[in-house]
Amino acid sequence: MRVECVFYPVGMTHPLPVQAARPTLVQAVLLRVPAGFPSPAQDSFDDGRIDLNDVLIRDVSSTFILRVTGDSMEGVGIYDGDEVLVDRSLTPRDGDVVIAVVDGDFTIKTLQIHHQQVVLHPENPAYPDVVVGGLSELVVWGVVVHSIRHLRPVGRSA
Amino acid sequence: MIALVDVNNCYVSCERLFDPSLIGKPTVVLSNNDGCVVARSAEAKALGIQMGDPWFKIAADARRWGLQRRSSNYPLYADLSQRTMSLLARYAQAQEIYSIDECFLTPPPGHTRELLTWGRQLRRVVARNVGLPVSVGIAPTKTLAKLATEAAKKIPATGGVVHWENTPPGFWDRLMDTLPVTEVWGVAARTARRLAAQGITTVAELRDADPVRIRDRFSVVLMRTVLELNAVPAIPVEEETATKQQILVSRSFPEPIKDPALIAEAVADFAQRAARRLRKGDQEAARLTVFAATSPHRPGPDHHPSAHLRLPAPTHEPGVLAAAARRALEPHLVHGIPYMRAGVMCLELTDTGAAAPLPGTVPTTAPIGSLIDAVNTRFGTGTVGLGRSATSAPRPWDNHQAALSPGYTTDWNALRTVS
Repeated sequence: MRVECVFYPVGMTHPLPVQAARPTLVQAVLLRVPAGFPSPAQDSFDDGRIDLNDVLIRDVSSTFILRVTGDSMEGVGIYDGDEVLVDRSLTPRDGDVVIAVVDGDFTIKTLQIHHQQVVLHPENPAYPDVVVGGLSELVVWGVVVHSIRHLRPVGRSA
Repeated sequence: MIALVDVNNCYVSCERLFDPSLIGKPTVVLSNNDGCVVARSAEAKALGIQMGDPWFKIAADARRWGLQRRSSNYPLYADLSQRTMSLLARYAQAQEIYSIDECFLTPPPGHTRELLTWGRQLRRVVARNVGLPVSVGIAPTKTLAKLATEAAKKIPATGGVVHWENTPPGFWDRLMDTLPVTEVWGVAARTARRLAAQGITTVAELRDADPVRIRDRFSVVLMRTVLELNAVPAIPVEEETATKQQILVSRSFPEPIKDPALIAEAVADFAQRAARRLRKGDQEAARLTVFAATSPHRPGPDHHPSAHLRLPAPTHEPGVLAAAARRALEPHLVHGIPYMRAGVMCLELTDTGAAAPLPGTVPTTAPIGSLIDAVNTRFGTGTVGLGRSATSAPRPWDNHQAALSPGYTTDWNALRTVS
């Protein structure tokens, strides 16, 4: 980098020669001028770095983050302490991992819909299935679309 | 046609979204310091609890009623409000966000016929995507849309959506005959008393008043209301949210503060909060008003000291604002007087950098505001600050919030858990 100094008379937006014979108010403006060739990479960097929000969140207004406790979903790789991204705008389908409201509390389970029967299925043989009468009796709070597993916690999420 | 979308019992609905055990139970949300009721569930309304009721008056009955209470969790409400507003904007041509829980919408082009269907769609999509119940009123003017929304809320058969033109014949005449003028958007109790002196007590009487007479005896604003009640649009949907004209940070204290030095520290803290809001909006303030006040509800002397000052240059620097606020107010405070409230108001706001600094007024200290913001954003509000604004020990001006729900959507360490 070279550092250049340009004088702007006050009120002007472009540099003008300053006449030293007359007193003039000037602002000193430091310009950093890159020396050497412009980076050829700059042109193709216009889209910016990968943003996980763009990749993982389809709709910010309907996506919520919840934190999982317990081991009832270990069979699909969701462990105690993991965060899950929940999209409320999706229509729950058979096989989705969902957040459901049961007895005034949240539960995370796999939704199984066969024929007239709706089941909240834990992915751990230690827990029983919860059989729901029908879809109309089930309150699905949202559909889980991603889970976050911290393998070597660093930084803010630690 | 204009729609008004209003979140039902907004704060209670926000609490219920993350705590479904509250659903069906009478629930209230209390103001700062858990003082008064600021939101009520339908069940709480049915118990006769009014907006503004002090908690201590209903606390005795709370257990018997099974009344649930929550302290106000404004970060949560603000987040859910933003989600709702940005979602609604997708279904409209223009949107005017009127308050944290209300917005006016104009229908998207080519959607002028099936407006009742549109209203139901708005209601459905907010309930599904955000999880909040809304009421929708659709009418030719904003004032009538407000009335239509009230009807949508109060009459369950509407399914929460009322379209001005899709009601039984005589419906609005009957409603306007029975509703008092205070039910009209923008008619305050004081105006209503003056209207009553003119023989105008119901909405219908105001609708049928002579607009020119209303303009001459009251104001142009009230004349517009009369026109709007007659389905003549007179108040436009203003999409451009005007940039903030002032920023106010003020608090009631949980207990009176009698020590001027503590009040000075409180306003220095408030000034830093105001500075943060200024920076968030990319604005600077040129003037500052700082005040303290005793409570009208408590015995003892009345004292309302305030100080106004012009800053050397527009700024959003916490150090400059905090020092100015404290220095301005402290000389006006009297030791031993029980102050219950203090605040800082930033005025003459301009966009950051809009006012070119005069030569010779270049700040002598490096700006630290953005650095403080960065640290507090990353490590939590109150991690760093000037004076006592960063201590973890409770300060005498801090809110009492005994029943505060976690920052489910605003604090990584407070996410809602699920098992």
